[in-house]
Order: sequence, then C-alpha cells, then structure tokens
Amino acid sequence: MRGRRALHLDPRVRFATLVGPGALFIVLFLLIPLLSIVVFSFWRTESYELISDWNVNNYEAVLGEWIYLKFLLKSLAMAAAVSAICLVYAWPCAYLIAKHGGRYKLVLVLLTAAPFLTGILLRITAMQQILGPIGLVNMALMELGAQPIQVLMYTNIASAVGLIYLWIPFMLLAIYLSLFNFNFELLEVAKVNGARPWRAFFEVTWPLNWMGTAIGIVLVFIPTFAASVTPRFLGGPNGSMFVNRLEHQFGSAGTWALGSAMGVVMCVASLVVIFVLWRTVRLRRAGFTGAGA
Amino acid sequence: MDKTNSTSNSVPHQKRRVSRRSVIKGAAALSAAGFTWKSIGPFVRDAEAATLELRWLGWEHYNVKSLTAEFENRHDVKVSAGFFDGNSEAWNKLRAGGTQDFDLVMADGFWPRLYAKQGLVQSVDYSKLDLSNVFDDFVPPKFTLLRAEDSEDMIAAPNCWGGYGFTVNMDKVAAEDQESVNLLFNEKYEGHLSTSARFEENIALAGILAAHNMGTQDSERPDGKSFNPYVLSDEELEECKRLLIKQKGLLVNRWNDEDTLERLLRAQVVWASPEWSGIYRRIHFDKLDGKSDLNMRHVLKPTEGGLGWVDQWSITSGVTDSEKLEIAHKWIDFRLEREAMKTVAVEIGWAPTVDVRDMLPERYVDTLFLNETGSIHGLYQFDAPSSPEKWERIWSAVEAA
Repeated sequence: MRGRRALHLDPRVRFATLVGPGALFIVLFLLIPLLSIVVFSFWRTESYELISDWNVNNYEAVLGEWIYLKFLLKSLAMAAAVSAICLVYAWPCAYLIAKHGGRYKLVLVLLTAAPFLTGILLRITAMQQILGPIGLVNMALMELGAQPIQVLMYTNIASAVGLIYLWIPFMLLAIYLSLFNFNFELLEVAKVNGARPWRAFFEVTWPLNWMGTAIGIVLVFIPTFAASVTPRFLGGPNGSMFVNRLEHQFGSAGTWALGSAMGVVMCVASLVVIFVLWRTVRLRRAGFTGAGA
Repeated sequence: MDKTNSTSNSVPHQKRRVSRRSVIKGAAALSAAGFTWKSIGPFVRDAEAATLELRWLGWEHYNVKSLTAEFENRHDVKVSAGFFDGNSEAWNKLRAGGTQDFDLVMADGFWPRLYAKQGLVQSVDYSKLDLSNVFDDFVPPKFTLLRAEDSEDMIAAPNCWGGYGFTVNMDKVAAEDQESVNLLFNEKYEGHLSTSARFEENIALAGILAAHNMGTQDSERPDGKSFNPYVLSDEELEECKRLLIKQKGLLVNRWNDEDTLERLLRAQVVWASPEWSGIYRRIHFDKLDGKSDLNMRHVLKPTEGGLGWVDQWSITSGVTDSEKLEIAHKWIDFRLEREAMKTVAVEIGWAPTVDVRDMLPERYVDTLFLNETGSIHGLYQFDAPSSPEKWERIWSAVEAA
C-alpha cells in the first residue's frame, strides 16, 4: 500500500519509475554506442587495431577525398531520386484510396504492405528473378525476339527499382493517413469559389497534407540513404553506395576509425535532411491544433 | 461456536468467483515465476550435472549436424558454433574478447600465425592427435604454416584445403586463354566475367598479374621473403588499381553468394569467374549424370600463380581449464578421422587434408583434386594484407572509378 501511495503522491518517484527503465535502455544501448562511434572517428586504425591517436584525418578523407565523397553524394542523390519517384507514384494511389476506397480503404492500404510479410532478402531475390539477365522480363523479351534490356540488372537503375519497390508502402501509408483526416469538402468550397481542380489541389490539398507527405519523404529517404542489401545484390560492379563502403570498413577492411567517421557523417546528413523537412512544415496551416501550434 | 464456524454457517457456500483482477494477478504471478526460473534456472542446477560446452568459431558450412551429434554422444559434451565470413572478421571477434567466448577458432593460410603472434591462440598438442592419415603435403616439414613463426610450437591442425581458381566455360573461352589470370581482365570476354565481392582476393589476384607483368614476381622483395600477393609494393598496388578499374567494365557483377554465380554460369551469362570449385563440381556432376551439357573446367593453378588455402583448427588462449583443453583436442582429432572427413567431402564438398580417396567415388576424388594435393605448394596462401589501410584505399578508388 505504501508503494502504491508513493506512486500516487510523489510525482518525482512516479516519473522516475515510469521513465527510468526506458531512459536507461536508450542511454545504454543507443547513446553510449553512438558516443563510442564519435570517439573512434577521431582515432586511427593500424593493421586492424584501433589506436587512440586523436586526429581529424578520417573526416578529411570522408569529406575531402573524392573516393569517399563520391559515395556520399551518390547515396544522397539516389535517396532523393527514389523519394521523388515514390512521391509521384504514391500520391495518386493514396488519394484514390482515401477518396474513392469506400469501405475497402483499409484493405487496399494493407495490401500495399503485403510485401512486408516476407523478409528483405526474399524480396530482393525475387527482384533478381524478375530483372536479372535470365529474369522474367528479359526472358520474355528474348522469347519475343527482342534484345534483353541490359540496364535492368546489376546497375544503379536496378538498385533504384529495388529501393522504390521496398519503400513505396511507407510513402503511401504516410500520405494516406494524412488524407484520411482531410476534409474533401474543402475542395468543393474551392471549386465553388472558382478554383480549377489543379489550383484546388496545389492550394488546398497539397499544403494541408504536406506534413504527411514530409513524413513519407523522411520514411523513404532515410532507409534508402542507409540501404546496403539492395545495392549489393542488384547494383553490380558500379552499384556500391555510401553504406556499402561503411560496412566494408567495419567488415573485411577492419578500418574502424574511418568507418566511424563515415557513420557520424551519415548520421549528421540524415539529421540535416530531417531538419530541413521539419522547417518546411507549418503546423497551423496543416490543421494541427495541439499545444504550441 | 468459534468465529470460523460462525462465518461458515452464516454465509452460504458459494462457488468462488473468478474476477478479471484475479486472472490478471494469477497471470502476472505465473509470468514472474516463469521469468525468474528462466533467468536463474541455468545457475541453480546441480554443478555435477552441468554439461561441458565446447564452443567453436568458424565457417558455417563446417557445422555438420551429424558430426556434432556424434561427438556430443561420444563425449557427453555440448558443442556450439559461431560463424564468420572471412578471416578478418574472425580476427576482429577474437581481438574484441572472443577468446573468452570461443574455445576453438578456424583460420586459413597465414592467419593462425597472426593469431599466435597476438597471443589469441595457444599450442596444439600433436601427441593427442592421430595425424597418420593426413597427406604429407599438409603437415610439416612440407607445410609449415601450422607451426609458430618464431618457435617449434604447433599452433594449428589441418582441416580442409583448396584453391581460389577459375571456373571456366570451355565452349565459350578459347583454350589458350583459360589458364591465365589475364582471363579475368581480357576484353575479349567483356560482359561475361564475374568476380567475388571479396576485396582482398580481388586485389591479390590482380597483384599476381601485376607482379608478373612488371617482372617483380621472381625478383628480390623488399622484405627479403619470396613473393606474396598480400605484401605488394606501392607500384604493384598502383598497377592493381589500374587493372581492377579496367576490369570493372568487363564484369557482369561481383557475386556475394554462390547461388547467384551458379545461376549465371549455368545460364552461360558468365563464362569465367574465380570461385572455390564447389560450383564447378555441381555443374560437372550434372554433366556426368546427363542433366547438363555444359563443359566446365576449374583451373586450380593459373600460369602466373594462384591463391590457395588450408583451413585449420586452433585452440584459443581463453581455454585454461584442463578438461576443456582435453576436449578441444578430442574435437580436432575427431574431425581428422577418416569417416568425419568423408562426410565433410561428400556433404559439404570441401577437399579433406586426410586421405579418404579409397572411401570416395572417383568423381569426388577428381573434382576435389585429391590426386593433386602437391598443388598446394604452388599456390600463394591466403594472408592478411600487409597494410589494410592502403588496400582499403585502393579498393575504394576502384569502387569509385
């Protein structure tokens, strides 16, 4: 009884009891490892051994040498392209489901997530069977007497196709959830006041659903930026991405210090993208009425 | 009348009601009890009943369930295994405290010597092993990598061996091109070549060709030792980089898994690729069985020289208990038994260092190169790059090109 009373009466005890375990977990398993990565990034590696010789050489290499910077820029470009394509594809789908899905809305949205019932490796293997030199598409083309399409497999385009396939459900779901709460009657009001459909879309629908769209972009951009399996299996000799190089440092190369610096740069780049998108969201305009809006 | 009786008399007998709260309480109590028992259970058993556990770190394909079960039954121990993909990964695991987590570690080429230098493994007592059936080619004096570099201590025992040669489609690749490392860099076969994603072996193979082309392979080396493709000069590394960048344009892919390469070889999309010879064996067996028309060969030792390996068992320095040390030796000895080696050869397809030729069908003897065990001396053994940092930069430059 005393314990129960303490929980009820002392907000500090209650707060510590409720928040403590979660906070401890985050400190132990997220912050400390992250901090160690930051520390390692200022050390150096010699013959698989980390040496605590403080320097910024790893950052100079990652941000100053083309052989590493190229992969950073390439990964950012790939993430941006995949996000843009997912956005263009997912918006009309989500719109149609939200507006015309009727009682099948939920089923239709859940169907888009059906590929998630399997593992990522299985999905990538399936993509290999479809896109590969001996895959479904090329075999069909050859049966019809046409030349196989070389860019479909072991290229950066193949990687992009694989990544779009993997992450598009996230974009679709985020936009759909935003549209689910959107009052479509506003469009009628806009039309009554003389707005053409496109103008109504860009001045009413788009801005009022920008928050959901921005969340969708983040949900696609970050995993695409961090993708390693897809480019490794679909990308071919020129398909390596920033994360593949990062993995290489922690794997067979054993250059952990350089890998740590790459990890920190990647983390910062992701945070910058999230910050930029967050700055574009106008909560009040998006219809958010919570505290601080 | 006592109070109890009074109560029992005054309150009519009712069936006790099961409330939601009591169900939740009961479930919580059961969960807590179960969780507690699961957490402390392993520690409260009778110490005498505890089973000795032998833990090894190695390549996953060596985890043959039937062999493990047989050893466990024979010695009343439990055997568990951890896996790695490459020597450097195992090295990092042991360096990060893995000697306390594993009693045995597998390695190949020069790696056991590196482990010994760092004090990660201890001596293996050869008097406890029956090496009578091991081919001479895989034990000293012919094969010295089982011994520490600076002493007579034996630091490892042999397991299986092989090369990292090329599997070649003989119908597609001209006979005069088939046996040279240059095949992997030959523009004639653009769009029909593949290599693995392993950066060390890609650079080492290019290093053999680079040194051959530069005439430095047989000349005196800066370290006073004979040529080793894992110890390359800066000029040779630059030449490797040039060759590998040129090679990129010729490749279909860099394979990460054998299944992918096998599919591409069978479909004749890829005509030549380095591999461990397992894919060649499967395709060749299919031809022998009339299931395939493909004419494949495996070039174990190319003209400029090739890469090879003898993988080995070592006992980690974390094993200090005499009983554990004994059982670790018994495990190595068990894996050297002819029956065990036959199982490894047939089930997982690696060539044993033990002579089991009379126990295997002829096709296995041929394709596992068991009549050519002397070839191992002409192959450059797998090693750690002399400077992983320089090699990493070369590989990143190749990838970025």
